[in-house]
Amino acid sequence: MELFFKLGWYFKAQWRRYTAAILMLLGTDVLEMTVPWITGLLIDQVVANTLSRELLMRYVGIVVAIGFVVYVMRYLWRVFLFYSSFQLAETMRQRLYAHMTKMAPQFFAQHRTGDLMARATNDISALEMTAGEGVLSGIDGLVTGVLVIAIMMFFIDWQLTLVALLPFPFMAWYFTILGERLHVSFRDAQERFSDLNDRVQESVSGIRMVRAFGREQVEDDNFLHIADRTAEANMRVAATDSLYDPAIFITVGSSFLLCISMGAWQVEQERITLGQLTSFTMYLGFLVWPMFAYGWLLNILERGSAAYERIQQLLETESPVQDAGVVTEVAGADVHFGIKSFTHLGSAMPVLHNIQIDVESGHTLGIVGPTGSGKTSLINLLLRYFDHPDCDLRIGGVSIQDLTLETLRAQIAMVPQDPFLFTATIAENIALGKPNASREEIRAVADLAAIDQDIMRFPQGYETLVGERGITLSGGQKQRIAIARALLLDAPILILDDALSAVDVGTERSILKHLREVRAQRTSIVLCHRLSAVEDAQQIVVLNHGEVVERGTHSQLLAHKGWYAQMVDYQRLERTVESGR
Amino acid sequence: MNLDDKHSEGLDLSALWRLLRYALSYPRLLKQAGGLLLLATAGQVLGPVLVKVFLDDYVTQGHYPVLELGGLALAYVIFYALSAWAGYQNAMRFNEVAFNVVRTIRSQVFAAVMRKPLSYFDHRPTGALVSRITNDTEAIKELFVQVMSTFVQNVTLIIAVFIAMAYLDVRLMLLCSIILPTVIIVMFYYQRLSAPRYHRARSVLSRINATLSESIQGMRIVQMLNQQKRFNADFGNVSQDLFNARMSNLRLDALMLRPLPDLIRTLTLAGLLYYFGTQSFESVVEVGVIYAFINYLSRITQPVVEMTQRLSLLQQAVVAGERVFGIMDEASESQLPSASLIGAGRVQVEDLGFSYDGEHPVLEGIDFTVEPGQFYAIVGHTGSGKSTLMSLLLRFYTPQKGRILIDGTPLDQIDQDNLREQMGVVLQDPFISAGSVRDNITLGLPIPEEKMIAAAQQAQLHEFVMSLPDGYDTLLGERGGNLSTGQRQLLSLARTLAREPRILILDEATANVDSHTEAVITKALNKLRGSTTILAIAHRLSTITHADQIVVLHQGRIVQQGPHQALLAQDGLYRHMHELQLQKALVADAVVYP
Repeated sequence: MELFFKLGWYFKAQWRRYTAAILMLLGTDVLEMTVPWITGLLIDQVVANTLSRELLMRYVGIVVAIGFVVYVMRYLWRVFLFYSSFQLAETMRQRLYAHMTKMAPQFFAQHRTGDLMARATNDISALEMTAGEGVLSGIDGLVTGVLVIAIMMFFIDWQLTLVALLPFPFMAWYFTILGERLHVSFRDAQERFSDLNDRVQESVSGIRMVRAFGREQVEDDNFLHIADRTAEANMRVAATDSLYDPAIFITVGSSFLLCISMGAWQVEQERITLGQLTSFTMYLGFLVWPMFAYGWLLNILERGSAAYERIQQLLETESPVQDAGVVTEVAGADVHFGIKSFTHLGSAMPVLHNIQIDVESGHTLGIVGPTGSGKTSLINLLLRYFDHPDCDLRIGGVSIQDLTLETLRAQIAMVPQDPFLFTATIAENIALGKPNASREEIRAVADLAAIDQDIMRFPQGYETLVGERGITLSGGQKQRIAIARALLLDAPILILDDALSAVDVGTERSILKHLREVRAQRTSIVLCHRLSAVEDAQQIVVLNHGEVVERGTHSQLLAHKGWYAQMVDYQRLERTVESGR
Repeated sequence: MNLDDKHSEGLDLSALWRLLRYALSYPRLLKQAGGLLLLATAGQVLGPVLVKVFLDDYVTQGHYPVLELGGLALAYVIFYALSAWAGYQNAMRFNEVAFNVVRTIRSQVFAAVMRKPLSYFDHRPTGALVSRITNDTEAIKELFVQVMSTFVQNVTLIIAVFIAMAYLDVRLMLLCSIILPTVIIVMFYYQRLSAPRYHRARSVLSRINATLSESIQGMRIVQMLNQQKRFNADFGNVSQDLFNARMSNLRLDALMLRPLPDLIRTLTLAGLLYYFGTQSFESVVEVGVIYAFINYLSRITQPVVEMTQRLSLLQQAVVAGERVFGIMDEASESQLPSASLIGAGRVQVEDLGFSYDGEHPVLEGIDFTVEPGQFYAIVGHTGSGKSTLMSLLLRFYTPQKGRILIDGTPLDQIDQDNLREQMGVVLQDPFISAGSVRDNITLGLPIPEEKMIAAAQQAQLHEFVMSLPDGYDTLLGERGGNLSTGQRQLLSLARTLAREPRILILDEATANVDSHTEAVITKALNKLRGSTTILAIAHRLSTITHADQIVVLHQGRIVQQGPHQALLAQDGLYRHMHELQLQKALVADAVVYP
C-alpha cells in the first residue's frame, strides 16, 4: 500500500484520468448490480401474476440499455486507466534513459548492461502493473465486494447474507495458504529451470570434451536427471495451482447450498420473495472476483515496491563526475598533464605517478608502454571519466575542471580502443557527432581514414546498415569508420587510443600521413602498441607502472636503448615470424 | 530470445499434430483424464438442475418433506464434492501428461544436440542452442498445460451446459445458443485484427530493447560526441512508438475482448427475460428453469473468451515446436564406422588438405608419420593451421583431401568408442564440471580406483588432492572454481592418463598455465615417451624442446621439420619463433593493475 503513496506524485499529475477511470468503474459496478435486482423483480411479478406487457418491456429495455451503457463505460475505464499506467512506464523509461546519458563511464563499469536493461524493462513493467492492474484490482475489488454485500444485506436480507457468506472467510484463508505454497514452489521451479539452463550451457560449451571422451550417454543421463527434477518441481507448482479451481467451486457451491436452504425457509416464512432469492444467488457469483483481486493486489504490490526501489536507486545515483565548470571558450590546443598521483577508487596501488607532460598546439604526442602501464588511465583523466584532486590537466591553459563537460568534449575527438558502431547506416555512424554533415564531408573524412573505397564496394555504399543487426565489418573497417567519425568533428585535439591495431601497416602509414596533412595546427595524442604509429611524433613518452620511464623522439629513444628500442626490435622480429621467415 | 522470429500467420498443423502425438503415448492417463473430465463437468452442470427441482417442485408449491429434501441436499453436496475432486484429478492427469511430454522432448533434443557433428556448433551461438533446449521446450509446455486442457475442458463444459439447457427447455436453449456463434465470430475477428497489432508491438518492444542496450554500451561515444540530447529525443520517439502500439492494442482489447462478450451475454439475458415474461402471460412458468438458465448463461461466455486468450500461446508453442523439431530432424554424426584397432599407436598423416569454406585452404599437403612411442610436436604462429590439424586428428571434421591412418586403418573407419579408448586428448581449456575430483577424473565412466590414483600421481596431482578435506571426494565448484588454472590443467591431464591411451594428443595444453605446471606436464610427457605416442600442439616452445620431431607450420603448410637443436641451427621460422619468445619476456613487463 505504501507504494501507492510513493507513486502519489504520478496519480496527482494524472488525477483527471484516474478520477474518470474510477468513476467509470464505480458506474459499471453499480449498473451491473442492478441487473440481478431487475431479474428478481421480474420473477416476483411473474409469480405474483402482476406482470404486464408494458412492465416487461420496460424491464427488458432497462437491461438492454444497461448492457450498452456498461459496455461503453467498460471501454472507457480501460482506456483511461491503462493510458495512465502506460504513460507512467513511458515517463519512467525516458527518465532512466536521460539519467543514464548523464552518467560518467565509471557508472557503466559498476552496473552490468543486463542489470540496467532489467531495470529499464522488467522493473518498469512491474511498476506499470501497479499503476494499472494494481489500481484496478484494489479499487474494483473493494467496490464490488462492499457493494455486493451491502445490496445483499440492505435490500434482501442481512441474515441470509451472513449465512451465505460463511464459507468465504475459509476460502480467503485457504487462498493465503495456497498463495504462500505457490510462491515457494514457483521459486523452486524457477531455480530448477535455471539449473537446467546451466546444465545445457555447460554441455554445449564442453561439446569437444564430450566428444573426445565419448561422454554422450553420461551427459544424456545427467540431463535427464535434471529434466526430471525440473518436471517434478513444475508438477508441484501445478499441484498447488490446480487447487484454486476446486476451492472456488466448493466455496461457491456450499454458499449456494446454504443460501438456497436458508432462502427457501425464508420464502416459506414470507420474509423474502422467490425473485429476491434468485437475485441473491446471482449476487453471490460476484463475490469471487474481490477475493481474487485481493490476492492479486498483494502480489502486484510486492513486485511493484521492489521494482520501484530499484528504479529510484538508479535515478538517485549521482554521476561520479560533476559538471560544475563554467568556462565555455578555449583558445589554443596545447595540453598539460600534471599528475602527482592517481589511484582508482577502492584501490591501494596508484595507477599513475608523477607525470608531467606538455604538448604544444599542433604537435603529436605518442604514449607507449606495456599492457597495464597506465596509458589509457592518462587519457581517461583528460576526458574526465574520473576526477582526482592530485591531477592538474589543462587545455589551452584552462583547467579541465573549470570547463563545462560539453565544452571539454567539444575540444576533443577521440577514437577508442574498441570502436563501437550503432545500428544505423555507415553514413549515420560517421556523422554521429555532426548529424547534419553533407555526404561530401562524410566521404572526405572516410577517404582520409582510408575506408571510402571499402564502403563504396558495399552494394548499398554509405547506406549500408551496420551494428548489431547490420552487416559484420572487420575490426580494421570498424576502426577506420571510428577514425572518420572523429575526423568529421575537426576538434582541436585528436586522441587515437590504440585505434590502428587492426589495420595493416601500409594502411596505417597512409592514414597517419593524411592526419599530418589535415591537422597541421591541431594537437594529436596517439596511444599505441605498434610503435610504427608514433615514429613521427614530436614527443614520445614511455610509461611503465604508471611512471614516465623514457621520453624523446623516435631517434632519441632508439639511441637510448631502453624498453622502446627493445620493443622496436621485438616487433621487427614478430613481423618476420608472421611472414613465415 | 527469438533469434528467428517468424511471422508465420498460419499454424503449422503438421508440427502441431507431431506435438500432440507425444501426448498420445500416454493413453492410460488420457483415458483417466477424459473420464474424470466428464464426471467433473456433469457435477458442475447438474448442480443448477437440482436447485431448479428444489425451487419448482417444493418451494413454489410450499411443500417441504424433510426426507426428500435431505436427499436432495445430500445429492447436491455429493455432486459438488465429486465434481471438485474429479476436476482436480483431471487437471493433475493433464499436468502429468504435459510434463512427461516436455521431459521426453527435452531429452530428445538434448541427445540430438550432443550428437551433432562439431561443424554444427561453429555457426551456432551457444546461447541460441541452449535457448532451443530450455526456453522453446518451456513454450511447448504451455501447449499441454494451458492450451490443451483449457480447450478440452471448456468445449466439454459448453456442450454439457447446452445438453442440460435442452433438457430443461429446448426453445430457451435455442435462444441461448445464439450467443455461441456470435461470440465465436467476434473472437475470430478479434484474432484477425489483433495478430498484426500484436506483432507490431512486439517488434517495437524488441527495437526498444536493442536501442537501450546499444545506448548503454555506446554511452561513452554518445557523451564524447555531445549527442546526449539527440539520443534522448530518438529514444523518446521509439518509446512513444511503443506507447502508441500498446494503446492501439489496448483499444482493440477494450472494444472486443472482455466487454463485448459481456454485452452479448447481457443482451441474451434480456432475451431470456423477455421470452420468460411473454410465456408467463400464456401459461404457468417454472421459476426454477429461469434460475437455472441464468446460472448457465454466466458459464458459457467465459470459456470461449478463455480459449481465445490461449490462442497466442498455441501459436508460440507450435513455432517453438517447429524449431525444436528442426534440430531433432537435422542429421546427427554418423556412427557407421566399425573397424576396431588394437595396434601399437602409429599415426600417419598423408597429404592432408582442409578448408572450412571450400574456398580458402587452411591446410595443404600435410604429410608425416609418427611411429609408436614417438613424441611429435606441431608448432606455428597464430593462423598457421595447427588447431585445424588437431581438430582433424580428433575427427571433429572430415578432411577434403588426403587421410589420417591410425595403425594402418583410416581414421574415419574406426569405431567411435574404440577410437576413444586408444586416443586421449588434453585440451587447452580444461573443462571441469561441478562434481567431485573423482567424477572429474573418471567422467562417470567405470575406471578402477588404482588406475585413477596412478593417473593422478603421473600428473603430480595426487598429493594436492590428498591435502583437500575430502580427498578425491572433494566437491569442485562450478567450472572448477576452487582450483587454479594450473591445477585444472593437471586434472585434465590425469583424466586423460587414467584411460591409458595408446596415443596422447595435447591441444595447446600449456598455453594458459604457469611455468611450474608447464614443467610438471613436460615431465609427465617425458615419462610417457616410448610407451605412448604423443602428438603435442604447442604455442610455448619450451614445452616441446624434447620432442623427437617438431613440425613447423606456416599458412597451412609444413615449412620446417626436425628435432629442436637441428631446427635452432637453421636460420628459419623456428629459430625466429624461439627468439621472439625469449624477447617477449623482456618487453612484456606485464604487471597488470586491477
